[in-house]
Amino acid sequence: MSGDVDCEQLREIGPELALGVLSGWERAEAVAHLDRCADCREYVRQLTQVGDRLVGLLPDREPPPGFETRVARGLARRAGVSEGQRRAPGRSRPGPHRGARRPRVRVAVVGATLAVAVGFAGWAIGTAVEEVVASPPATEQSEPVMVGDMTPAGRGGQDVGEVYAHPGPPGWVFVSVALTGSRHDGPVTCYLDRPDGTSLRAGDFTLRDGHGNWGVAVPGDLTRYSAARLVSSDGTVLATAQLQKAQVTTSQA
Amino acid sequence: MLFVRRFQHRVFGVARAVTGDQQLAEDVAQQTFERAWRHAQIYDSRRGSVMTWLTSIAHNLAVDAVRARRTEPMAPEDLEDLLDAVTETPERWALADEASAQVRAALARLPREQARALMMAGIYGMTARQVADAERIPLGTAKTRIRTAMAKLRTATASAKRGDHVR
Ligand SMILES: [Zn+2]
Repeated sequence: MSGDVDCEQLREIGPELALGVLSGWERAEAVAHLDRCADCREYVRQLTQVGDRLVGLLPDREPPPGFETRVARGLARRAGVSEGQRRAPGRSRPGPHRGARRPRVRVAVVGATLAVAVGFAGWAIGTAVEEVVASPPATEQSEPVMVGDMTPAGRGGQDVGEVYAHPGPPGWVFVSVALTGSRHDGPVTCYLDRPDGTSLRAGDFTLRDGHGNWGVAVPGDLTRYSAARLVSSDGTVLATAQLQKAQVTTSQA
Repeated sequence: MLFVRRFQHRVFGVARAVTGDQQLAEDVAQQTFERAWRHAQIYDSRRGSVMTWLTSIAHNLAVDAVRARRTEPMAPEDLEDLLDAVTETPERWALADEASAQVRAALARLPREQARALMMAGIYGMTARQVADAERIPLGTAKTRIRTAMAKLRTATASAKRGDHVR
């Protein structure tokens, strides 16, 4: 065996490659072939999509009670909130204090230098921001993130969504919105505004019954933006968010 | 936390189906959200919806967790239940796009042994060797079943895309 995979062999192992069940060396050989063969790349791309759709058929399931809160706590832990990043008074809701945190069963992951704890400073995630961590982790990495609550245009009041952004590069914005009041249906445009009044059209997505989740990569340094706006196709501003700088702290186990 | 609330049923559903274990599924689901945050900049909207992206993270973490945990990747009765669940009538699945509906229909039409092999590899992350051992069949047969099943599903989605034009 020369070790070189040809197109015919690639067609044989493509399905296993796309499903991620080839052994390391087989995968390496297959990938080497894909590097130089556009046809086989397209073939594997289609098979990968089939694999994604197969996984997409798995039924949704109700998580255990309190799951959302535990995730929020996990994300907010070690927040290390500094002055100036705190939320406006009255925004954070006092939560139940938990004496003992459920010991987290560490999931063994192949290549496990993954983040094991991520916290967002200055971000009122439900009840979680006040939590203080007893023992600081051995090593800690920190990176900036920008967050903001979406409020309905002009009316203020209840939050209707959230904006998160990784300043990058490459920058990345995620918008999650539920406009329960207007129940807007149809395309909306997300703008990012700079303090000087100029703005960037980050992209378009579609709301269904006021609900939408959307993310996009944004070129450049996102720390230049101070607000996000959702605008309907007729120019109506549906919701706005002030972006605040915060830190993600990541501890390595 | 809207981000979690929106996607937790999906993420937990995937983790629970693959691990077959409530506690492990919760840990996987929690890690999925943490990882999504850490690697948010990798997300590329052109490659699919946020839902697809999170689903894929959850699936990868769940498969890794199962691989790390035990020698037996899945219980045989779990596979049959899951196969029934994923081939159920599409009315229950409001979010399914046409291509997903085609994959579901094509999966339901597969010979049972091909569908089983595909689920073992595609859902549980079992290698062809593991599929062969679990089904007590030669390795070549396991590979053929996986490959044939994938080819049928690929054809089904390809014709779904052209559907209004060709048929
Ligand atoms: Zn080729």
